[in-house]
Amino acid sequence: MSASVIIFYIIAAFILGTGILAVTTRKIFRAAIWLLFSLIGIAGLYFLLEMNFIAAVQIVVYVGGIVVLIIFSIFLTQKSGKEMQKPILVRQLFSAVATVIGFALVWLLISHNSFATNSTSIVDVNVANIGTQLLSTGEHGFILPFELVSILLLAAMIGCIVIAMKTKQEQL
Amino acid sequence: MLNDFFILMKFELLPAVIFFVLLFIKVGTAELSNASIIRLANILLFINLVAGFFYNKDGGMFGDMFHTNALIVLQKSILNLGIFIVSLQAEAWLRTHKHVIEFYLLLLSSLMGMFFMISGANLLMFYLGLELATIPLAALANFDLEKRKSSEAAMKLIMSSAFSSGLLLFGISLMYGTTGTLGFAQLPALLNGSNLQVFAFVLLFAGFAFKISVVPFHLWTADVYEGAPVPVTSFLSVVSKGAFIFVFASVLYTVFKPLADTWYHMLFLLSVLTMVIGNLFALRQQNIKRMLAFSSIAQMGFILIGISGSSQAGTASAVYFVLVYVFTNLAAFGVVALVSAQTGKEDITDYKGFHATNPVLAWVLAIALFSLAGVPPTAGFFGKFFLIMAGAAKQNYWLITIAALNMIVSLYYYLNLVKALFMDANASPVPKITFGVYAKLAIVICIAGMVLSGLASVVYEYIYNLSTGF
Repeated sequence: MSASVIIFYIIAAFILGTGILAVTTRKIFRAAIWLLFSLIGIAGLYFLLEMNFIAAVQIVVYVGGIVVLIIFSIFLTQKSGKEMQKPILVRQLFSAVATVIGFALVWLLISHNSFATNSTSIVDVNVANIGTQLLSTGEHGFILPFELVSILLLAAMIGCIVIAMKTKQEQL
Repeated sequence: MLNDFFILMKFELLPAVIFFVLLFIKVGTAELSNASIIRLANILLFINLVAGFFYNKDGGMFGDMFHTNALIVLQKSILNLGIFIVSLQAEAWLRTHKHVIEFYLLLLSSLMGMFFMISGANLLMFYLGLELATIPLAALANFDLEKRKSSEAAMKLIMSSAFSSGLLLFGISLMYGTTGTLGFAQLPALLNGSNLQVFAFVLLFAGFAFKISVVPFHLWTADVYEGAPVPVTSFLSVVSKGAFIFVFASVLYTVFKPLADTWYHMLFLLSVLTMVIGNLFALRQQNIKRMLAFSSIAQMGFILIGISGSSQAGTASAVYFVLVYVFTNLAAFGVVALVSAQTGKEDITDYKGFHATNPVLAWVLAIALFSLAGVPPTAGFFGKFFLIMAGAAKQNYWLITIAALNMIVSLYYYLNLVKALFMDANASPVPKITFGVYAKLAIVICIAGMVLSGLASVVYEYIYNLSTGF
């Protein structure tokens, strides 16, 4: 067992452990913090794959952006420090069964089938190449999805503003 | 290249232009009245609809990210027609609304998402288009800003669509893992039917099933339809579902052709479940929007039968049915929207004696219900007929028998409403509804469509000639 395999398992265990804690803890703020660690672990996996740019994006976007947003929205809504109710036993039982079956299914499928190995030579993944490809219009160019995402964000922003304006008017 | 760009992407560019025109009006200083904004938006949407019929070309662009052909152009035109009618019908509700421009902005961005989804030849484009088609709709469902139910509908829509996106993304990533590509052109050759690929396909299929609310993925439908404002409900049930059906059929027929045996059995099972459960639940609904929601679930079951035919007639019948469904369901929702906007009444019992006070609207609703039930000579009959004929080509007569029985069940609740409209006495019927020129125009288009698209066989032949199957 080589060193990289050992490191992979350590990181994977870290991601899974913090992920489980994120969904089992009774305090919503703690769940957000555990989620933060889980996302950092995923960035670690990208570093292990030597995808430095994606790892950096993972940290900037998820850790720096999304989790901070989640924490903000937790603080802005009430009950951030209180413990959430314990789910009833039947529900716990069913979700445990669903988890075990789901895990077993995915495990079986992945252990019996192999993923496609990338036959093409490893692409040079420096930032300059990523930038060019992201904005190129030709074959393997990603300009169209890029623009589509910007429209999506604009539409989401408009929707949020309309909905958020409502509460303000009610208070007045 | 530049000419190609404008002609091939015309359907996407026009809504984008309208989107920005309206956005600039919104952020500009000019204070336009609601009436003039609605007039402007309707004129622009009409131009958008008409422009779709001229100067079309087949071709692809941006590598494999975008492609279009005559069938796709037709599908987009059907959706353009749908959004135009929805916009006409929304006038009664929007007249006093504070956020008219935002309504159109969100509607148009959702339409753009559908177009990119239909044209995308890549799982990435497909996924982004799907999100752009869904997320604005969740905000739209909340547009009755002071109503609790509307917020609840938006919440349920965004939660269920997030869940279905999760399934879909898991499926897409497994698919990418096993094949190493996202392109629709390369995928079929790499699908070998291994268990892992079938599992990925099942997840993708579930994501679709959520969007077209096939049982057992339908749980969000009735609540969202009931809570959302009626124009948004009609957009959700007609335009949005139509777009997903177009993509669903074409993806099954081209990309997942190697898995045809698998998905035939899935379609068989789901269509039976969808028809039976949709119809049985529709029987016991008291709210007319909920009833139409469950009836639209049942209609999806019939569409799945047509798609399961996996022939040229399969595609053609599904596209034709969506066209008919645009006219039919929008006619029904149009009447419901008028009544709801002016009286706030949405229960079936409120519609008792509707004919006595509103004879014209009662007849429109009755014709729409007959068409939904599939009574000749309305277009709904031909739509169902072609769907079932396409499905019958597989010689699975159990499926056809169940479908026929379900049509009888559905007759009960449709005709029950017709009976309430015409025969039942009511001490306090819905007062006389006045409707403006927009609603009148929408009604005329719907009625003409319901009659003409059924009687003029050239419509189906045209769609049939554009379709492909295997």
